[in-house]
Amino acid sequence: MENISANGTKNEGSILLEMRGIVKEFPGVRALDRVSLQVRAGTVHALMGENGAGKSTLMKCLFGIYEKDEGEILLEGQPIVFRNPREALDRGVAMVHQELNQALGRNVMDNIWLGRYPKRLGIFTSEREMEQKTRTVFEDLGLSIDPKRKMSEMPVAERQMAEIAKAVSYDAKIIVLDEPTSSLTEEEVGHLFRIIRTLRARGCGIIYISHKMEEILQISDEITVMRDGAHVATASAAEMSMERIIRLMVGRELSHRFPPKASRPGEVIFETRGISSRFAKVKDVSIKVRRGEIVGLAGLAGAGRSELLENIFGISVRSGGALYLNGKEIRNRSPREAIRNGFAFLTEERRSTGIFGILNITENTTISALRKYLRAGLFLSDRRRAADTDDMVKRLSVKTASKSTQIRTLSGGNQQKVILARWLLTTPDILLLDEPTRGIDVGAKYEIYALMEELAAAGKSILMVSGELPELIGVCHRIYVMSGGEITGEVDAASTTQEQIMTLAAKNV
Amino acid sequence: MKLKIVQKFKQMPPNERRIYLRELLINNSLYIFLVAAIVLIQCMNPRFLSGPSIINIISLSAANLPIALGIAGAIILTGTDLSAGRIVGLVACVSAALLQMTGYAGKMFPNLQTLPIPVVFLLVIAIGALVGFINGYCTATFHLHPFIVTLSTQLIVYGALLLLLMTGNNNGQSISGLDPSYTNFIKGSVISLGSTPIPNYVWYVLVITAIMWVVWNKTAFGKNMFAIGSNSEAANVSGVNVKRCIILVFVLAGVLYGVTGFIEAARIGSNSASTGLNYELDAIAACVIGGVSFVGGTGKISGVILGVVLLRLIFVGLTFLGIDANMQYIIKGLIILIACAIDMRKYLVRR
Amino acid sequence: MKKRILSALLALCLFLPLLTACGGGKGDDVHVFYYTYSDTYISSVRTALDAKLAEAGLTYHDYDGNGNQTTQTEQVRTAITQGARALLVNIVNTGSDDAANEIVGLARDAGIPLIFFNREVSDTVIGSYENCAYVGTRAEEAGLLQGEMIGEYLLEHYAETDRNGDGKISYILFKGEEGNNEAIYRTQYSVEGANELLERANKPALVFYDRANTNGYLVDRNGQWSAAAANEYMTTVLTSYNAAGNNMVELVICNNDSMAEGAISALNSAGFNTGGSSPAIPVFGVDASDAAKSLIRDKKMAGTVQQDAAGMAVALAHLATNAIAEDRGLMDGTEGFTVDESVRKIRIAYGKYLG
Repeated sequence: MENISANGTKNEGSILLEMRGIVKEFPGVRALDRVSLQVRAGTVHALMGENGAGKSTLMKCLFGIYEKDEGEILLEGQPIVFRNPREALDRGVAMVHQELNQALGRNVMDNIWLGRYPKRLGIFTSEREMEQKTRTVFEDLGLSIDPKRKMSEMPVAERQMAEIAKAVSYDAKIIVLDEPTSSLTEEEVGHLFRIIRTLRARGCGIIYISHKMEEILQISDEITVMRDGAHVATASAAEMSMERIIRLMVGRELSHRFPPKASRPGEVIFETRGISSRFAKVKDVSIKVRRGEIVGLAGLAGAGRSELLENIFGISVRSGGALYLNGKEIRNRSPREAIRNGFAFLTEERRSTGIFGILNITENTTISALRKYLRAGLFLSDRRRAADTDDMVKRLSVKTASKSTQIRTLSGGNQQKVILARWLLTTPDILLLDEPTRGIDVGAKYEIYALMEELAAAGKSILMVSGELPELIGVCHRIYVMSGGEITGEVDAASTTQEQIMTLAAKNV
Repeated sequence: MKLKIVQKFKQMPPNERRIYLRELLINNSLYIFLVAAIVLIQCMNPRFLSGPSIINIISLSAANLPIALGIAGAIILTGTDLSAGRIVGLVACVSAALLQMTGYAGKMFPNLQTLPIPVVFLLVIAIGALVGFINGYCTATFHLHPFIVTLSTQLIVYGALLLLLMTGNNNGQSISGLDPSYTNFIKGSVISLGSTPIPNYVWYVLVITAIMWVVWNKTAFGKNMFAIGSNSEAANVSGVNVKRCIILVFVLAGVLYGVTGFIEAARIGSNSASTGLNYELDAIAACVIGGVSFVGGTGKISGVILGVVLLRLIFVGLTFLGIDANMQYIIKGLIILIACAIDMRKYLVRR
Repeated sequence: MKKRILSALLALCLFLPLLTACGGGKGDDVHVFYYTYSDTYISSVRTALDAKLAEAGLTYHDYDGNGNQTTQTEQVRTAITQGARALLVNIVNTGSDDAANEIVGLARDAGIPLIFFNREVSDTVIGSYENCAYVGTRAEEAGLLQGEMIGEYLLEHYAETDRNGDGKISYILFKGEEGNNEAIYRTQYSVEGANELLERANKPALVFYDRANTNGYLVDRNGQWSAAAANEYMTTVLTSYNAAGNNMVELVICNNDSMAEGAISALNSAGFNTGGSSPAIPVFGVDASDAAKSLIRDKKMAGTVQQDAAGMAVALAHLATNAIAEDRGLMDGTEGFTVDESVRKIRIAYGKYLG
C-alpha cells in the first residue's frame, strides 16, 4: 500500500464526515477491509477505483442499505448509524445515484418533495408552497426547469439536475454524486461543475464517484483511491496525475490508455445516403465506413448519435434515404433483417437492453446465434454452445467463476465483454457500438479497446458512439460529428483536436 | 386557449397536420366512440336519452363506482384486487342480515332487533377495511403480488360468506325482507328530476367520489400512492413509508368495497352467495378503459368515472336495442382491448 | 427465527382444516357432491338431506363443486379412494353426457352405488350402470306449472293486468343461465303453457315487451340466476316501458325466485308491488324460497313453483340407505315414489305455490 500524506491539501475545512475502519463481509468475500474516508467541509472528495473496488459498497454502508460489520461513522464528530437512506437525508447526507431513481410518471416537484410534502391543515398537500420552494431551489442553482414538468418528458441531464436539486433541498451537508456525468454533454458537465462549486463554497462536503480522470482532476480537491475493497491512497488532487491514479487503481503501470492503431482501413463497405428518421431526430445523414475501420460518432447528448445507430439497425422507422452494403442497397427494416445483413448493435443501456440478468453466461453469450447450434433444425446442441462460450470467455478474458454464473453478478466491464462475445458469435461485418465503455473500469476499457483494434485488423468495421472525446480520438481512425440530428463535420482522428470537434458539435445547438 | 391551438395548427406543415389530426383522433377515440354510440342508440330508440333513462344510467354507474375507485388504487400500485367482488358480496349479506325487518318470516336472526343504520354501516366498513388490511399487509410485508394475495382472500371471504348464509335459520337462502328504513335510506329519493326520483345513494357516491378526488390529488398519501406506483424504490429512498402506504391503499379500497356492498344489499333487495360475483372484473375493466394503467402510477378519478359510465352505457344501450348478451361480451372485450392499446401507445417510445 | 415461526403457523393453518376433514371424512358412508353451495334451492336440499341422513344413522360428507365440473370430478375420485360407500352427485355439467359418464365409470370400477340428483342426466347414463339412479324433477314440469299458473292468473285478472287496455299482455322474462337445461325448459314452457290456456279462452298470446329482442328473454350474463342481473335489467327496462309511456311491462316471468326478488326490488323503486293496495305487476318465479313465500304473502309477488326440497331429501336418503345395506337392491321399497317406467328415475313433484 502506498502512503501519501494528506498534508498540503488546499482546503483546510473541518472534517464533516469520517468513516473509520469500515469492514463489510459477504459470504466468502471481504468486500470492505478496514476502509477509512474523511470528507472536509467545502471540498470535493473524489472516490476512485475500478468496478468492484468497493466504492458503492462503502456508500451503501454509509446510507444503511448494508449493515457494516465493523468500524464507525462520525458526522461532525458525532457517531451515527443510519438505518435507511431517509435517516441519512434527515441528517443532511444525500446521494444522487447513477441510475436515477425517480418516479417518472410524476412531475418534478412531486419528485423533489416526495416523502415530505408541504402540508396544510395536516393532511392536504400545498401545491403552491411546493412550487414556490422548488423555484427557490432551482433559482439558487441556476436551473431553468419547469417544476410542473413530467419527469418522463425530460432529458436525462435535466432529470439529473433535478435530483441534485432534491439533495440540495434537504439542506444536505454531504452530497454523494455517483457517476453524475455519465449521460451529460460537455456543456451540461460545465453546468454541473458550476453547481458543485456553488455547493462547495457553501461549505458542503461532496463525495464524487467517477471513472472520468479529466473531470476528477478538474473538479476535486482530494482524491481517495480504493482497490479490492481496501483503501489505497488519499491525496490532494494537486499531487495527483492521471497516470498515478491509474497506477494506484489497477496496481500496475498502464503505459498507454489506448492500444496502438495497427489496423489499416480498406475499401468502403457500408454507406448511408441521406437517411432520416420518422420520429427520432436523424436528418439527411450520409456516412461511409471502410473495411477494417473504426469510425467514431461524436456530438452532444441529444445530437442523434444513438438514434442514427438505431436507424441503421432497423429499430426506428426510416423516412428517407438508403443504406448500401458492398455497393448493394439493403433495407434493414428490423433488427432481425439487420443481423442477417451482418450488423451487430451493442446498446447503450447495458442493464435494460443488453444483459439478461438472471440468465447465465452461456445463455447470454449464445442467445443471438442460437440458429447456429440447432441439430436437426430443432434441438440445441448444449455441447457446442458450451464450447463456444468457453472460447469467448477465454478470448475476451471474461472474469467469471464459471460459465453458469448469472450475468448480473459480474462487474460492468465483464458484462460488456459477454455482450460483445454474443455479437461476435453472429459473425458480423459491421459492429455498431453505443458507448461501449460507459461505466467500465480502466483495465476493462483497455481490453475492450484492444479487442476493437483486433477486430478491425481482422477486417471488421466498427461504428462507435462515445461521449468521451479522448476515447474517440484515441481509438478511431475517423470521426463524424453530429449536431441536431445532422452530420456537421468529418475529422481525421490523427490530426483533430477536442476543440475542433466541440466546435462542430455545437453548430446546430 | 383554444385559439392558440388553432393558430399552432395552422402554422404546421401539411404532413405534421395530418399526424397531429391522426393522433388527436386516436387518443380521443374512446370519447368519439362514446358519442357515436350514444347518437346511434338514440336514433334507433329515442327513449334512450329520456330523463328516466339518463337517471338510470347515472344510478347504475353510481352503484358501480366506489368499487372501481377502490380497485383503481390497487392498480395504480401496479397491483390488482380480485377479492373486491366477494368483499362486496360478504358486506352486502352482513348488511342485509343485520337489517332485516322485525317479524319477517325468513328472518335470519329472529330475535335480533333492527339495528341503527349507522352502526351497521360502520360495522360493514370495518369488515371491508379488515380484509383490505390483510390484502395490503401481505402485499407490503411479504412482497407478494396482490394478484396472489387477493386471489387467496377472495376464496377466504367467499367461504365466510357461505358460512354466513348457513347461520341462524337462513339455511343458505337469499337474505331479503330488508327493513324499510334501510331501503329508503339507500333507494329512497329526496330530490327528483322532473318526475323521476334520483335515488339517495347517487348523492352518497357523489360525496365519496369528491372525497376520493381530494385524497388522490391533494393529500400526501395520494401523492405517495402515485409515486410508489411509478417507482417504489425511489419512494422508499425518499423516505416514504412504502409499506404503510400500500396497506392504506388496500384498506381504503376495502372501505370502498364496504360502501358498495352496503348500497348493493338495499339496491338489489335479495342477497345471496352470488352477490358481488365478478364485480371486480367489471371494475378492473372500467379502470383500464378510463386510463388507470397497469403500468402503474397513472390514473385519474375522471377516467374511472368515464370507464364505469361507458360500461353501463353499453349495458343499457344494448338492452335498449334488444341485442342479446352474447354481443355484449364481444363489444365489451373489444372496448377494453382497444382502450388499453390506445393507452399503451403513450408509453411506447416512438423511434 | 421470526420467519420460521410464521411458516410453521401457516403450515398449521393449512393442516387444521385437513385434520378436521379427515376426522369426519374417512369413515363416512355417504358422500354428497353439490354443484354449488351458492344456489339457494340447493342449500335447502342440503339442509334437509343432512338431517335425513343423520336420522337414518348414516355418516355423510358434503362437497361444494363451486360450479366447476373438473373440481367435482376430482372430488368424486378422492371420495372413492377414501372408501365412500354411496355417492350422491348433483352434477355440474348437464349439457352433455360426458361428465356423467365419467363419474359413472369411476363408480362402476369401484363398485359403489351412484345416485344423481336435481340436475338431470340422460336415461342412457342411468341405464349404463346397474347401481345407478336419479332423483329429481322433470325439467319441463317447472316451466309447464309456471305457465299454467300464469295462464290461470291471467284468465282471472285479465283486465287489470292489461294495464294499457290494448287487449294484449306484454311480458318480460329473465333467464338464469345460457346452456342450462332447466333454464331452457323453464324459459320455453312457462310462456307456452300460459299461451295454451290463453288460446283456449280465445285470448291473444303473450307479447314480449320489446319486439327488437327476438330471443324473448334477458339472461344473467354471469349465469348466476342472480337477483342483481334481474334488478339491473328491470330498472333499465322501466325507464322506457312504464306507466307514463302507457307501455308498462304487464307481466314478469322469472326462471327462479332470486331473479323475481331482484325484479320486484326494481318495481318497488318505480312505485309498484310495494304491498297492500299499491299497483302490482304479477311476478312469477320458481323454487318457493322463503323470501318468495314471504313476498307472495305480502301480495308483492303473484306465484312461484315449489320445488320439494324435503321430498327430494327423503327419496335420496331412502336410496342411500338401500345402497349401503348389503341385503337390499338400490330401488327396493321405492313403490311409494313416482318412478319412471323404463329407467331408475324417481320424480319429485313440483307444486304451485300461490300463498
